[in-house]
Amino acid sequence: MRNRAQRLAALVLVSLLAAGPALADTVNLTFRFNDTEEKELRGALDQFEQQNPGIKVTLQRIGWRDARDQFLREAAVGQGPDVVHMAQVWVKEMGKAGALLPLNDLVKQSPPGSGFDDFMAQDLARNKEGRIYGLPWTTDTWAMVYRTDLLKQAGITKLPDTWKELHDDSALVKQRTGKAGFGFPAGGSASGAIWFLANFFWWSDGKAMVVQKPDGTYGMNLTAADIADAMRYFKSFITEGHNPTSNLSASDAHDPAILKALVTGQQAMAAMPPNTYKQVLDTYRETHPGEPVPFVSGPFPKGTVTRSSMVGGRMLGINVNTKHAAEAWKLVKYLASEPIFTKYYTTQFPAQRSLLQKVDWSPELKGFAEQLGYARTWGPYSDGPAPIGALWNATGRAFSAALSGQRSEQEAAQELVATVTKLMQARGQ
Amino acid sequence: MQVTAFRNLLRGQHLFVAGMLAPAFVILALFYAYPTFQNLAISFTDLSLLGLKRGSNWVGFDNYHEFLAGAEFRHVLFNTVIWLTALSVALRLAFGLGIALLLDSPLLYRIRLATLAKVAVLVPWATPPIVAVVIWRWMLDPQNGIVNAILVKLGLVDEPVAFFADLRTVWPSVVTIIVWNTVPLIALSLLASLQSIPDELNEAAALDGASRWQQFRYITLPFLMPTLVVLTLMSVFWTFNNFVYVWLATGAGPGTFTNVLATEIYIKAFVDFRIGYSSAVGIVMAIVMAAFGLAYYRFVAPHELTDAL
Repeated sequence: MRNRAQRLAALVLVSLLAAGPALADTVNLTFRFNDTEEKELRGALDQFEQQNPGIKVTLQRIGWRDARDQFLREAAVGQGPDVVHMAQVWVKEMGKAGALLPLNDLVKQSPPGSGFDDFMAQDLARNKEGRIYGLPWTTDTWAMVYRTDLLKQAGITKLPDTWKELHDDSALVKQRTGKAGFGFPAGGSASGAIWFLANFFWWSDGKAMVVQKPDGTYGMNLTAADIADAMRYFKSFITEGHNPTSNLSASDAHDPAILKALVTGQQAMAAMPPNTYKQVLDTYRETHPGEPVPFVSGPFPKGTVTRSSMVGGRMLGINVNTKHAAEAWKLVKYLASEPIFTKYYTTQFPAQRSLLQKVDWSPELKGFAEQLGYARTWGPYSDGPAPIGALWNATGRAFSAALSGQRSEQEAAQELVATVTKLMQARGQ
Repeated sequence: MQVTAFRNLLRGQHLFVAGMLAPAFVILALFYAYPTFQNLAISFTDLSLLGLKRGSNWVGFDNYHEFLAGAEFRHVLFNTVIWLTALSVALRLAFGLGIALLLDSPLLYRIRLATLAKVAVLVPWATPPIVAVVIWRWMLDPQNGIVNAILVKLGLVDEPVAFFADLRTVWPSVVTIIVWNTVPLIALSLLASLQSIPDELNEAAALDGASRWQQFRYITLPFLMPTLVVLTLMSVFWTFNNFVYVWLATGAGPGTFTNVLATEIYIKAFVDFRIGYSSAVGIVMAIVMAAFGLAYYRFVAPHELTDAL
């Protein structure tokens, strides 16, 4: 018995000694991911680990709401994940804060995909000195989503083409079906969706909260009256009862109450990014097997100048504190490769033009494809002196205050103008 | 000779006491005094979350001036003092006292429900605040919430109420969650005090013809006062500084309608990235609470606090 135990102990010791060098050679990376597709990404990372036996990847998931400030705090004290998932508009300010590793050398030595030039949104990845702080990973834009059965019941035969038509059709749905019309989240959280809708509204009239002037400085191209007009427009949906009052406490396009209302046919219209829309479609198919899908997407309504939305998306960056930059870059390149979008991360669209051309837009998603043609980047918002998060928060708070009745539209608009002006001046512009 | 020996002994005792207290003082200095003074120093700078590596510039009292002279200050202070603190603490104490009296009543013991009732009271206390907020958000949800379903069924409202979106109902909803989640501590603390009152006192008073109210007013309440005073002080400190309930329930909205000092600190620090400014707000909070504590100790309940602490 004793001999047996000794033999076993010796075996364990020999195994450990043999495995020691291999364990020591293993590089452990941490990838912090902010979307909900954690399970799918883990599958992709398992595949990566099989392809790269010396690299292990820990997947951390954190919500978008806390992702930016948590990473900034960690990076400032030499901590944080090796690879980080970011909104495109965060990248330059994170680079400026010294939190991200410039990728220029890595891109030069080992170009990603079909070359860095194949990636969209490069203006948001590269600072004025040409330093690249992020690799554009996914791209998207928002579009309108409609329940075709409710539109039909309301006698609406074509999708609304202007903001006024959108309002009138929304009212008609409520009047003729008793269901909600355009149910948008009107809450004022720092990452609220009203920020997008307000900007699309202004952009479609050729205006913008932040513009770059000919002399290179930045300023506001909105008056308090412009802002109050937008507030009045969106408030009318709530006061007239075709956007439920409860949406004043919803801030996200993927708010469960809104998605449920769409899937169950309690709401006819919504605005959202494609991954949220795909969740709606999947849920509908699961709950109504074999039935035709009563959804269609369409572009945002026209203003006096155009129709508009933003080119959005995500980037991947490498923490300036990483001890494994080469391995982290290998992971970033892998995550941007084609199989990720066809097999694992299928709710998102790749940020590479060559891969985007191969995307098969299903009939339900045609509106998003059409909207991409009208989409613009955040450009001056991201380059300008005020942090985009602060602009976003101030806009959400002001709209929420006006839409809930806490302030009049004029008061809320004037406060927003004052806040934005102060934010722009505070950074030396 | 004897005096010298006694002095030496005392000196030795002083050294011994100082030696015993030293670790506690070191820990206090490291984990309380240092962060406090660091926060004070940051409050005089323009430190930004985006500039943690670059450092900051000295701005003197600019952050304090901006906050105290700003349009939001009065609104945020009113929300913090009246809605968040005064109302929720008053309700918590009132309900806590009511529940404690109920739990102590002979009737509950007679029908053998005393233990069950005590356990039931513990349930909200054992529920973490985040879970409490989620539960209440679901219960008060306009589409799926049980509260709205009941109100509509009883005909008390025609349309479901958006409790967290309507300016008339949002604060009462938040206060309800706070009171529900925290009242057990008050109730059980007061119950312990109630059970320490000698039965003979009430029996003697009853023999002398005292009514139930008079027994409560002149026997029970004076016995409970030291506990009530300490619970009030603790509840005020704890609630005034609380961030979780408001942030999770409303995100300080609609607009900034439910913004309180703690959420203002969070928004300025981690949304607008103004660490220096939010540190100044934190210092103002600390000063307000210190002033309250001092005034409470000096004017409201000096004897009870001295006895209890």
